Amino acid sequence: MESTKYTQPVALSKKQVDRKWWEIGDFFRRNSLWMLMYCTGCCAIELPPAMTSAYDMERLGMGPMATPRQADVLLVTGYLSLKTLRRLIYTYEQMSEPKYVVGFGSCTINGGIYHDSHAVINQLDQYIPVDSYVAGCMPNTEAVMNGFVDLIELIKNKKANGWKNYHTNNAWYKKNQIDALGEVRIKDEFHQ
Amino acid sequence: MIEILMNIGFGLGVATFGFVLQTAMGGINRKIAARLQKRRGPKWYQEFIDIFKLLSKRATSHGWIFDFGVIMALGGIIGTAMFMPITSSIVAFEGYDNFFIFVYLIAVGMLGMAMSASGSGNPLASIGVMRALTTMLAYEVPFMVVVMTIIKLTGTSSLTGIAVAQQTGDFNWFMIALPLGFIVAVMSLMGMLGKKPFETYIAPAEIASGPMVEYGGKQLGMLFIMHEITIFIEVSLFVHLFLGGAETIIMFLIKYFIVYAVLNLVSNVLGRFKIDQVVTFFFKWPLFFAVVQAMIAIHLGWVI
Amino acid sequence: MNSTNNVDFLKSLVEEKYKVNKTEVIDQYQISFEVEQVEVHRLLSELKLEGWKQLSYLSAIDWIDENEFEMVYIVFNWDRPVHVQIRTRIDRDKPVMNSIMPIFEGCKYYEREAHEMFGIKFPGNPDHEKQLVLEEWDDMPPLRKDFDPQAYSDRKFPVREYNNDFVELNGKKSKQKDRLKRAERIEQVGKRGNK
Repeated sequence: MESTKYTQPVALSKKQVDRKWWEIGDFFRRNSLWMLMYCTGCCAIELPPAMTSAYDMERLGMGPMATPRQADVLLVTGYLSLKTLRRLIYTYEQMSEPKYVVGFGSCTINGGIYHDSHAVINQLDQYIPVDSYVAGCMPNTEAVMNGFVDLIELIKNKKANGWKNYHTNNAWYKKNQIDALGEVRIKDEFHQ
Repeated sequence: MIEILMNIGFGLGVATFGFVLQTAMGGINRKIAARLQKRRGPKWYQEFIDIFKLLSKRATSHGWIFDFGVIMALGGIIGTAMFMPITSSIVAFEGYDNFFIFVYLIAVGMLGMAMSASGSGNPLASIGVMRALTTMLAYEVPFMVVVMTIIKLTGTSSLTGIAVAQQTGDFNWFMIALPLGFIVAVMSLMGMLGKKPFETYIAPAEIASGPMVEYGGKQLGMLFIMHEITIFIEVSLFVHLFLGGAETIIMFLIKYFIVYAVLNLVSNVLGRFKIDQVVTFFFKWPLFFAVVQAMIAIHLGWVI
Repeated sequence: MNSTNNVDFLKSLVEEKYKVNKTEVIDQYQISFEVEQVEVHRLLSELKLEGWKQLSYLSAIDWIDENEFEMVYIVFNWDRPVHVQIRTRIDRDKPVMNSIMPIFEGCKYYEREAHEMFGIKFPGNPDHEKQLVLEEWDDMPPLRKDFDPQAYSDRKFPVREYNNDFVELNGKKSKQKDRLKRAERIEQVGKRGNK
């Protein structure tokens, strides 16, 4: 009779091994989210209390970073005019993968109080993929922290796939960007 | 042949020990700083998570100099750390723990980083490298004067030799024997570690973290490992030169922790200098005190 | 020297030599003169000689009913604390205003902005047609009164569509309709109250 205590280990396929490694990587990634704060609007004022001793974001392993290359999560805090959207797309494409985006406030969701402005876009997720939204105008600091915890949960459940969607649906994103911006290339005195 | 391989393996063990030690110390000190500011702070192993996360990310390359420089920096620093004595008896390459070996070998790592940062083509990186080298020029001079005084007094430039001279009672610990020189060395150590008042070449808000501006993913992870091992080398140098080395590993850990924690506490309450302030600061009082200490100790022979 | 004297000084200075259509003393620190288009440059250079050497702002106002743009130049003096506004009317169909760059060189960017937002041309300013704030703009200048930002926004930026299914949460019946009715009722009451 065969023993029930011991089962022969099943050799994992390459896909399964990759998945295991990816899960290990996800553990590190969700416990050390470095932010790039793209402080375009008023929601940015909620970040100082979230970072300092009142709510202490560092206990989640989050911290501010200086450049897009070093950062993991892009915080878009508030409304985006066309001019900033152009820079935001540049910034987003410079970040090293895997990368995540959190949109703050109602401006990034549906335009907020700027829904009828000629210079401000209405939906951020038409142009770059957004993993998590924090609603409110402006959101409470509790809501902001909750948004970060949600993002961590999403990474844990392998649902924060915005950066993959940006690859697979690249044509759709590019079309939306060109519809809104005309051309994504930055043309000003400093880029000539 | 086998002996050399054993030595190299031992040296790699020392470098790994230094990496683990300094990374844990870094996390603990982040926690201490957080408690000072009435925060909860990160986990003590947060720095390990950060480094492994960086290694798990995808990276962008900016040409082969950029990639090669990172590997050269990491290799140079690991090579330097292999020579570091941990206690007076635990030395990987016995007889090669000379102070000047560290001075020369550590430059390989620094130059690798400078080369790689310049290879990224970002102007902020060039500014950062320029500032780092200028800061180096500033703190090396007073530090060297103090260390030369110690070498002249003990008659040896071997780190274990200097540590043993303090342990056997030929001299007091040099932090007591040469008080002025000790103060100078503390300031220079803060410059070496890039702690707050001399953080000019990192300056995240000003030049976007200087030399590291274009790094992301794996390269940044390797630079972080390099940075941790550099700090290990510099703090252990200080422990061996001024705090009488260590007889046992426990003593080494205690001394190491005290030096690093005190420097961190000091740097947490200070602001940041401008680059010209750094240079004039180091060339004014620390250099003056270092020379005065050398005159007192060597010419007059007044050693406590 | 007190500030009422400053206002009197300015009034006598400007009104004696120039044809002023309208003078408005807003308070003791602000005064506004409306002059002819051709006299703006002469007046500004004279004010600059008298000490009003800082150009604080330059912009335009769109008076669509009169088919005119009103240019506003605000200059400031650090010794006599009075903001002087120089206003002038220009034609709305062919908006051309000579640049004041020979007098105040800093007007360069203000004039670029005014060109972008109102479509006013500034001969004399070499860069006035370069884009400044709006990049790749493809419509009429947006601060003109006949520009409809809502229509532009609807055309250019997609509006998020919500489905109302989500209102029934956890098996409970939605109160959405009751709330809408209540809001309508309150509005009705408010309208009646106002009459």
